[in-house]
Amino acid sequence: MFGSIFSWLNIILKRDLLIAFRKSSTYITPLVFFLIVVTFFPLALGPQESLLSSLAPGVIWIAALLASLLAVETIFSDDFRDGTLDEFFISLEPSFILVFAKVLIHWLITGLPILFASLIAAIVLYLPFESFIPMLLSLILGTSFMSLLGALGAALSLGRSAILSAIIVLPFSIPTLLMGTSVISSSLTNQDFSGFLMIMGAMLAIGIPLLCLLTVEALLLNYE
Amino acid sequence: MLPNLKVENLSCVRSNKVVFENINFEVFPGENLEIIGSNGSGKTTLLRTILGLIKPEKGIINWLDENDKFNDFRTFECFYQGHQLGIKNLLTVYENLQLTHGAKGMDENKIYECLERVGLMHINELASNLSVGQRKRISIARWLVKNFKIYFIDEPFSALDDEATSMIEHLIQELNSKGCSFVITGHRPSQVKANRISI
Repeated sequence: MFGSIFSWLNIILKRDLLIAFRKSSTYITPLVFFLIVVTFFPLALGPQESLLSSLAPGVIWIAALLASLLAVETIFSDDFRDGTLDEFFISLEPSFILVFAKVLIHWLITGLPILFASLIAAIVLYLPFESFIPMLLSLILGTSFMSLLGALGAALSLGRSAILSAIIVLPFSIPTLLMGTSVISSSLTNQDFSGFLMIMGAMLAIGIPLLCLLTVEALLLNYE
Repeated sequence: MLPNLKVENLSCVRSNKVVFENINFEVFPGENLEIIGSNGSGKTTLLRTILGLIKPEKGIINWLDENDKFNDFRTFECFYQGHQLGIKNLLTVYENLQLTHGAKGMDENKIYECLERVGLMHINELASNLSVGQRKRISIARWLVKNFKIYFIDEPFSALDDEATSMIEHLIQELNSKGCSFVITGHRPSQVKANRISI
Protein backbone atom coordinates (compact mmCIF):
# COMPACT_ATOMS: atom_id res chain seq x y z
CA MET A 1 0.00 0.00 0.00
CA PHE A 2 2.75 2.46 1.00
CA GLY A 3 4.71 1.49 -2.11
CA SER A 4 1.72 2.45 -4.23
CA ILE A 5 1.33 5.79 -2.41
CA PHE A 6 5.03 6.62 -2.80
CA SER A 7 4.97 5.70 -6.45
CA TRP A 8 1.97 8.01 -6.95
CA LEU A 9 3.66 10.79 -4.98
CA ASN A 10 6.72 10.29 -7.19
CA ILE A 11 4.61 10.62 -10.37
CA ILE A 12 2.98 13.88 -9.20
CA LEU A 13 6.31 15.36 -8.07
CA LYS A 14 8.12 14.42 -11.28
CA ARG A 15 5.30 15.65 -13.51
CA ASP A 16 4.77 19.00 -11.76
CA LEU A 17 8.48 19.74 -11.40
CA LEU A 18 8.99 19.09 -15.13
CA ILE A 19 6.13 21.46 -15.95
CA ALA A 20 7.44 24.09 -13.52
CA PHE A 21 10.94 24.01 -15.02
CA ARG A 22 9.55 24.31 -18.55
CA LYS A 23 7.47 27.32 -17.48
CA SER A 24 10.28 29.34 -15.93
CA SER A 25 8.04 32.23 -14.85
CA THR A 26 6.65 29.94 -12.11
CA TYR A 27 9.85 30.04 -10.11
CA ILE A 28 11.57 33.15 -11.49
CA THR A 29 8.71 35.59 -10.76
CA PRO A 30 8.63 35.07 -6.95
CA LEU A 31 12.42 35.15 -6.83
CA VAL A 32 12.72 38.41 -8.79
CA PHE A 33 9.82 39.94 -6.85
CA PHE A 34 11.52 39.10 -3.54
CA LEU A 35 14.84 40.60 -4.64
CA ILE A 36 13.22 43.76 -6.04
CA VAL A 37 11.23 44.43 -2.85
CA VAL A 38 14.30 43.87 -0.66
CA THR A 39 16.65 46.02 -2.75
CA PHE A 40 14.15 48.91 -2.89
CA PHE A 41 14.55 49.53 0.85
CA PRO A 42 18.24 50.60 0.77
CA LEU A 43 17.44 52.71 -2.29
CA ALA A 44 14.55 54.45 -0.56
CA LEU A 45 16.00 54.78 2.96
CA GLY A 46 19.67 55.30 2.17
CA PRO A 47 22.64 53.14 3.10
CA GLN A 48 22.60 53.63 6.92
CA GLU A 49 23.76 50.27 8.24
CA SER A 50 22.05 50.46 11.65
CA LEU A 51 18.68 51.48 10.19
CA LEU A 52 18.72 48.80 7.50
CA SER A 53 19.81 45.99 9.79
CA SER A 54 17.12 46.89 12.32
CA LEU A 55 14.50 46.83 9.54
CA ALA A 56 15.91 43.68 7.91
CA PRO A 57 13.79 41.07 9.80
CA GLY A 58 10.53 42.77 8.83
CA VAL A 59 11.61 43.55 5.27
CA ILE A 60 12.84 40.02 4.55
CA TRP A 61 9.77 38.40 6.03
CA ILE A 62 7.19 40.67 4.36
CA ALA A 63 8.96 40.22 1.01
CA ALA A 64 9.06 36.44 1.54
CA LEU A 65 5.36 36.26 2.45
CA LEU A 66 4.26 38.31 -0.56
CA ALA A 67 6.60 36.49 -2.95
CA SER A 68 5.41 33.07 -1.81
CA LEU A 69 1.82 34.12 -2.52
CA LEU A 70 2.58 34.97 -6.15
CA ALA A 71 2.45 31.40 -7.41
CA VAL A 72 -0.34 30.27 -5.07
CA GLU A 73 -3.09 30.57 -7.67
CA THR A 74 -1.36 28.06 -9.95
CA ILE A 75 -1.21 25.26 -7.34
CA PHE A 76 -4.47 23.65 -8.51
CA SER A 77 -5.80 25.88 -11.30
CA ASP A 78 -4.07 24.12 -14.23
CA ASP A 79 -5.10 20.68 -12.99
CA PHE A 80 -8.66 21.93 -12.48
CA ARG A 81 -8.83 23.44 -15.98
CA ASP A 82 -7.38 20.48 -17.88
CA GLY A 83 -9.28 17.76 -16.02
CA THR A 84 -6.31 16.24 -14.16
CA LEU A 85 -7.90 17.08 -10.82
CA ASP A 86 -10.93 14.95 -11.78
CA GLU A 87 -8.59 12.00 -12.42
CA PHE A 88 -7.00 12.46 -8.98
CA PHE A 89 -10.33 12.39 -7.18
CA ILE A 90 -11.62 9.44 -9.23
CA SER A 91 -8.52 7.36 -8.52
CA LEU A 92 -8.52 5.31 -5.34
CA GLU A 93 -5.34 6.99 -4.05
CA PRO A 94 -5.67 9.22 -0.97
CA SER A 95 -6.39 12.85 -1.94
CA PHE A 96 -4.27 13.92 1.03
CA ILE A 97 -1.17 12.74 -0.87
CA LEU A 98 -2.10 14.86 -3.88
CA VAL A 99 -2.41 17.99 -1.73
CA PHE A 100 0.80 17.21 0.15
CA ALA A 101 2.66 16.75 -3.15
CA LYS A 102 1.26 20.01 -4.49
CA VAL A 103 2.35 21.88 -1.33
CA LEU A 104 5.82 20.35 -1.57
CA ILE A 105 6.14 21.41 -5.21
CA HIS A 106 4.96 24.93 -4.41
CA TRP A 107 7.60 25.16 -1.70
CA LEU A 108 10.31 23.81 -4.02
CA ILE A 109 9.52 26.37 -6.73
CA THR A 110 8.90 29.40 -4.49
CA GLY A 111 10.16 28.78 -0.94
CA LEU A 112 13.50 27.24 -1.89
CA PRO A 113 14.55 30.03 -4.33
CA ILE A 114 13.49 32.58 -1.68
CA LEU A 115 15.83 30.85 0.80
CA PHE A 116 18.79 31.36 -1.54
CA ALA A 117 17.72 34.91 -2.36
CA SER A 118 17.40 35.73 1.33
CA LEU A 119 21.17 35.39 1.63
CA ILE A 120 21.57 38.21 -0.90
CA ALA A 121 18.86 40.17 0.94
CA ALA A 122 20.72 39.68 4.23
CA ILE A 123 23.91 41.13 2.72
CA VAL A 124 22.07 44.05 1.11
CA LEU A 125 20.34 44.87 4.41
CA TYR A 126 23.56 44.57 6.50
CA LEU A 127 22.25 41.67 8.55
CA PRO A 128 25.13 40.34 10.69
CA PHE A 129 26.52 36.96 9.66
CA GLU A 130 25.44 35.39 13.01
CA SER A 131 21.80 35.99 12.05
CA PHE A 132 22.02 34.09 8.75
CA ILE A 133 21.31 30.65 10.24
CA PRO A 134 18.31 31.78 12.37
CA MET A 135 16.98 33.64 9.33
CA LEU A 136 17.29 30.55 7.10
CA LEU A 137 15.71 28.29 9.74
CA SER A 138 12.78 30.64 10.24
CA LEU A 139 12.30 30.92 6.46
CA ILE A 140 12.39 27.13 5.96
CA LEU A 141 9.64 26.64 8.55
CA GLY A 142 7.70 29.78 7.65
CA THR A 143 7.66 29.44 3.87
CA SER A 144 6.62 25.78 4.23
CA PHE A 145 3.69 26.85 6.38
CA MET A 146 2.88 29.58 3.84
CA SER A 147 2.75 26.95 1.09
CA LEU A 148 0.24 24.97 3.16
CA LEU A 149 -1.88 28.07 3.74
CA GLY A 150 -1.49 29.02 0.09
CA ALA A 151 -2.82 25.63 -1.02
CA LEU A 152 -5.92 26.14 1.14
CA GLY A 153 -6.41 29.65 -0.27
CA ALA A 154 -5.91 28.35 -3.83
CA ALA A 155 -8.45 25.55 -3.26
CA LEU A 156 -11.03 27.97 -1.85
CA SER A 157 -10.60 30.42 -4.72
CA LEU A 158 -10.31 27.85 -7.53
CA GLY A 159 -11.68 29.20 -10.81
CA ARG A 160 -12.06 32.68 -9.30
CA SER A 161 -9.85 35.78 -9.17
CA ALA A 162 -6.18 35.15 -8.32
CA ILE A 163 -6.18 37.99 -5.78
CA LEU A 164 -8.86 36.19 -3.77
CA SER A 165 -6.43 33.48 -2.63
CA ALA A 166 -4.01 36.17 -1.37
CA ILE A 167 -6.84 37.90 0.52
CA ILE A 168 -7.81 34.59 2.13
CA VAL A 169 -4.23 33.65 3.06
CA LEU A 170 -2.71 36.93 4.27
CA PRO A 171 -4.66 37.32 7.56
CA PHE A 172 -3.72 33.75 8.54
CA SER A 173 -0.06 34.42 7.81
CA ILE A 174 0.24 37.02 10.60
CA PRO A 175 1.42 34.49 13.28
CA THR A 176 4.10 33.21 10.87
CA LEU A 177 5.20 36.78 10.17
CA LEU A 178 5.40 37.59 13.89
CA MET A 179 7.35 34.44 14.75
CA GLY A 180 9.66 34.74 11.76
CA THR A 181 10.59 38.35 12.43
CA SER A 182 10.99 37.57 16.15
CA VAL A 183 13.54 34.84 15.35
CA ILE A 184 15.74 37.24 13.34
CA SER A 185 15.24 40.18 15.75
CA SER A 186 16.18 37.98 18.72
CA SER A 187 19.31 36.81 16.98
CA LEU A 188 20.23 40.48 16.29
CA THR A 189 20.08 41.25 20.02
CA ASN A 190 21.77 37.95 20.98
CA GLN A 191 18.62 36.65 22.70
CA ASP A 192 17.39 33.06 22.67
CA PHE A 193 15.27 32.50 19.57
CA SER A 194 14.73 28.75 19.91
CA GLY A 195 11.26 29.20 21.47
CA PHE A 196 10.01 31.03 18.38
CA LEU A 197 11.46 28.36 16.11
CA MET A 198 9.75 25.64 18.17
CA ILE A 199 6.41 27.41 17.84
CA MET A 200 6.94 27.67 14.07
CA GLY A 201 7.87 23.98 13.95
CA ALA A 202 4.75 23.09 15.95
CA MET A 203 2.60 25.18 13.58
CA LEU A 204 4.08 23.30 10.64
CA ALA A 205 3.67 19.88 12.30
CA ILE A 206 -0.01 20.58 13.02
CA GLY A 207 -0.48 22.38 9.71
CA ILE A 208 0.64 19.50 7.47
CA PRO A 209 -2.20 17.08 8.36
CA LEU A 210 -4.80 19.71 9.26
CA LEU A 211 -4.35 22.12 6.34
CA CYS A 212 -3.92 19.28 3.80
CA LEU A 213 -7.22 17.75 4.92
CA LEU A 214 -8.96 21.15 4.87
CA THR A 215 -7.57 21.73 1.38
CA VAL A 216 -9.00 18.39 0.17
CA GLU A 217 -12.42 19.43 1.51
CA ALA A 218 -12.07 22.88 -0.07
CA LEU A 219 -11.22 21.30 -3.44
CA LEU A 220 -14.26 19.03 -3.24
CA LEU A 221 -16.47 22.09 -2.68
CA ASN A 222 -15.69 23.08 -6.28
CA TYR A 223 -17.51 19.97 -7.50
CA GLU A 224 -20.72 20.69 -5.57
CA MET B 1 -23.09 -12.92 -13.77
CA LEU B 2 -23.30 -9.85 -11.54
CA PRO B 3 -22.97 -6.30 -12.87
CA ASN B 4 -19.91 -4.26 -11.83
CA LEU B 5 -22.11 -1.20 -11.47
CA LYS B 6 -25.79 -0.86 -10.63
CA VAL B 7 -27.53 2.53 -10.73
CA GLU B 8 -31.07 2.84 -9.35
CA ASN B 9 -33.41 5.83 -9.48
CA LEU B 10 -30.55 8.29 -9.76
CA SER B 11 -31.58 11.95 -9.83
CA CYS B 12 -29.52 15.10 -9.81
CA VAL B 13 -30.57 18.67 -9.14
CA ARG B 14 -28.21 21.59 -9.71
CA SER B 15 -29.06 25.25 -9.03
CA ASN B 16 -32.69 24.23 -8.34
CA LYS B 17 -32.94 22.67 -11.82
CA VAL B 18 -33.51 18.95 -12.35
CA VAL B 19 -30.64 17.75 -14.55
CA PHE B 20 -31.86 14.14 -14.78
CA GLU B 21 -34.14 11.93 -12.75
CA ASN B 22 -34.85 8.26 -12.12
CA ILE B 23 -31.96 6.90 -14.16
CA ASN B 24 -31.61 3.11 -13.92
CA PHE B 25 -29.01 0.87 -15.53
CA GLU B 26 -26.52 -1.89 -14.90
CA VAL B 27 -23.05 -2.34 -16.36
CA PHE B 28 -21.98 -5.97 -16.79
CA PRO B 29 -18.36 -7.08 -17.38
CA GLY B 30 -17.50 -6.88 -21.08
CA GLU B 31 -20.66 -4.94 -21.94
CA ASN B 32 -21.11 -1.30 -22.83
CA LEU B 33 -23.64 1.38 -22.07
CA GLU B 34 -24.20 4.37 -24.29
CA ILE B 35 -25.90 7.45 -22.87
CA ILE B 36 -27.55 9.45 -25.63
CA GLY B 37 -28.66 13.02 -25.22
CA SER B 38 -28.55 16.48 -26.72
CA ASN B 39 -26.24 19.27 -25.57
CA GLY B 40 -26.92 20.23 -21.96
CA SER B 41 -29.08 17.17 -21.31
CA GLY B 42 -26.85 16.13 -18.39
CA LYS B 43 -24.71 13.36 -19.88
CA THR B 44 -21.47 14.70 -18.38
CA THR B 45 -23.19 15.40 -15.05
CA LEU B 46 -24.46 11.81 -15.00
CA LEU B 47 -20.95 10.41 -15.52
CA ARG B 48 -19.52 12.72 -12.84
CA THR B 49 -22.33 11.83 -10.43
CA ILE B 50 -21.70 8.10 -10.85
CA LEU B 51 -17.98 8.65 -10.22
CA GLY B 52 -18.69 10.62 -7.04
CA LEU B 53 -17.58 14.04 -8.23
CA ILE B 54 -21.14 15.39 -7.89
CA LYS B 55 -23.57 14.45 -5.11
CA PRO B 56 -26.85 13.00 -6.40
CA GLU B 57 -30.19 14.33 -5.17
CA LYS B 58 -31.43 10.77 -4.68
CA GLY B 59 -30.80 7.28 -5.95
CA ILE B 60 -28.38 4.45 -5.35
CA ILE B 61 -25.01 3.80 -7.00
CA ASN B 62 -23.77 0.31 -6.17
CA TRP B 63 -20.35 -1.08 -7.07
CA LEU B 64 -19.46 -4.75 -6.98
CA ASP B 65 -16.51 -5.62 -4.78
CA GLU B 66 -14.12 -8.59 -4.94
CA ASN B 67 -16.39 -10.58 -2.60
CA ASP B 68 -19.35 -10.20 -5.00
CA LYS B 69 -21.08 -7.77 -2.64
CA PHE B 70 -22.55 -4.43 -3.64
CA ASN B 71 -21.31 -1.31 -1.88
CA ASP B 72 -21.94 2.41 -2.25
CA PHE B 73 -18.15 2.87 -2.51
CA ARG B 74 -15.81 1.69 -5.23
CA THR B 75 -12.98 -0.78 -4.62
CA PHE B 76 -11.62 -0.92 -8.17
CA GLU B 77 -10.01 1.66 -10.43
CA CYS B 78 -12.09 3.25 -13.18
CA PHE B 79 -10.93 5.36 -16.09
CA TYR B 80 -12.60 8.71 -16.75
CA GLN B 81 -12.07 10.82 -19.84
CA GLY B 82 -14.04 14.05 -19.74
CA HIS B 83 -14.19 16.91 -22.22
CA GLN B 84 -10.92 18.18 -20.77
CA LEU B 85 -8.58 15.37 -21.60
CA GLY B 86 -6.11 15.76 -18.74
CA ILE B 87 -3.29 16.40 -21.20
CA LYS B 88 -0.46 18.65 -20.03
CA ASN B 89 0.68 21.11 -22.71
CA LEU B 90 4.20 21.40 -21.32
CA LEU B 91 4.84 17.66 -21.32
CA THR B 92 5.77 15.60 -24.35
CA VAL B 93 3.51 12.90 -25.76
CA TYR B 94 5.63 10.25 -24.00
CA GLU B 95 5.67 12.09 -20.66
CA ASN B 96 1.91 12.63 -20.81
CA LEU B 97 1.50 8.89 -20.83
CA GLN B 98 4.36 8.04 -18.50
CA LEU B 99 3.29 10.48 -15.78
CA THR B 100 -0.36 9.51 -15.44
CA HIS B 101 -1.80 7.73 -12.48
CA GLY B 102 -2.70 4.61 -14.45
CA ALA B 103 0.84 4.24 -15.80
CA LYS B 104 2.30 3.78 -12.31
CA GLY B 105 5.14 1.30 -12.52
CA MET B 106 4.71 0.71 -16.26
CA ASP B 107 7.84 -0.02 -18.27
CA GLU B 108 9.08 2.04 -21.21
CA ASN B 109 8.27 -0.56 -23.87
CA LYS B 110 4.65 -0.77 -22.82
CA ILE B 111 4.35 3.04 -23.11
CA TYR B 112 5.81 2.94 -26.65
CA GLU B 113 3.45 0.10 -27.50
CA CYS B 114 0.39 2.05 -26.29
CA LEU B 115 1.42 5.14 -28.28
CA GLU B 116 2.05 3.05 -31.38
CA ARG B 117 -1.39 1.45 -31.10
CA VAL B 118 -3.06 4.87 -31.38
CA GLY B 119 -0.74 6.02 -34.17
CA LEU B 120 1.28 8.57 -32.22
CA MET B 121 4.82 8.57 -33.59
CA HIS B 122 6.15 11.99 -32.50
CA ILE B 123 6.62 10.95 -28.91
CA ASN B 124 9.02 13.78 -28.04
CA GLU B 125 6.69 16.48 -29.33
CA LEU B 126 5.19 18.81 -26.71
CA ALA B 127 1.44 18.28 -26.39
CA SER B 128 0.91 22.02 -26.97
CA ASN B 129 2.02 21.52 -30.59
CA LEU B 130 -0.57 18.83 -31.28
CA SER B 131 -4.02 19.13 -32.84
CA VAL B 132 -7.18 18.39 -30.85
CA GLY B 133 -7.45 14.99 -32.55
CA GLN B 134 -3.85 14.06 -31.71
CA ARG B 135 -4.35 15.13 -28.10
CA LYS B 136 -7.38 12.88 -28.00
CA ARG B 137 -5.19 10.03 -29.25
CA ILE B 138 -2.88 10.51 -26.22
CA SER B 139 -5.90 10.19 -24.02
CA ILE B 140 -6.97 7.05 -25.87
CA ALA B 141 -3.46 5.60 -25.41
CA ARG B 142 -4.10 5.92 -21.67
CA TRP B 143 -6.96 3.43 -21.98
CA LEU B 144 -4.35 0.81 -22.77
CA VAL B 145 -1.87 1.39 -19.95
CA LYS B 146 -3.85 -0.92 -17.72
CA ASN B 147 -7.12 -2.84 -17.93
CA PHE B 148 -9.63 -0.79 -15.98
CA LYS B 149 -12.90 -2.54 -15.09
CA ILE B 150 -15.07 0.33 -16.35
CA TYR B 151 -14.14 3.18 -18.68
CA PHE B 152 -16.29 6.31 -18.49
CA ILE B 153 -15.72 8.22 -21.70
CA ASP B 154 -17.49 11.49 -22.43
CA GLU B 155 -18.16 11.84 -26.16
CA PRO B 156 -15.32 9.59 -27.35
CA PHE B 157 -16.03 10.16 -31.04
CA SER B 158 -16.05 13.96 -31.11
CA ALA B 159 -13.21 15.76 -33.00
CA LEU B 160 -11.98 12.51 -34.58
CA ASP B 161 -11.60 11.47 -38.22
CA ASP B 162 -13.03 8.23 -39.62
CA GLU B 163 -9.79 6.31 -39.11
CA ALA B 164 -9.59 7.27 -35.42
CA THR B 165 -13.29 6.53 -34.94
CA SER B 166 -12.83 3.05 -36.33
CA MET B 167 -9.69 2.59 -34.18
CA ILE B 168 -11.69 3.46 -31.06
CA GLU B 169 -14.44 1.04 -32.00
CA HIS B 170 -11.86 -1.73 -32.39
CA LEU B 171 -10.18 -0.84 -29.09
CA ILE B 172 -13.50 -0.90 -27.26
CA GLN B 173 -14.23 -4.31 -28.77
CA GLU B 174 -10.77 -5.57 -27.79
CA LEU B 175 -11.09 -4.31 -24.21
CA ASN B 176 -14.61 -5.76 -24.00
CA SER B 177 -13.15 -9.17 -24.81
CA LYS B 178 -10.88 -8.75 -21.76
CA GLY B 179 -13.93 -8.12 -19.56
CA CYS B 180 -13.68 -4.32 -19.52
CA SER B 181 -16.87 -2.27 -19.85
CA PHE B 182 -17.46 1.16 -21.35
CA VAL B 183 -19.95 3.82 -20.37
CA ILE B 184 -19.88 6.35 -23.19
CA THR B 185 -21.94 9.39 -24.05
CA GLY B 186 -22.92 10.84 -27.40
CA HIS B 187 -25.47 12.91 -29.27
CA ARG B 188 -26.52 9.99 -31.45
CA PRO B 189 -26.04 6.20 -31.28
CA SER B 190 -22.57 5.08 -32.33
CA GLN B 191 -21.46 1.87 -34.06
CA VAL B 192 -20.34 0.44 -30.72
CA LYS B 193 -22.30 -2.58 -29.55
CA ALA B 194 -23.95 -1.26 -26.40
CA ASN B 195 -27.09 -1.00 -24.32
CA ARG B 196 -28.49 2.51 -24.74
CA ILE B 197 -30.33 4.94 -22.54
CA SER B 198 -31.53 8.42 -23.44
CA ILE B 199 -31.56 11.38 -21.12
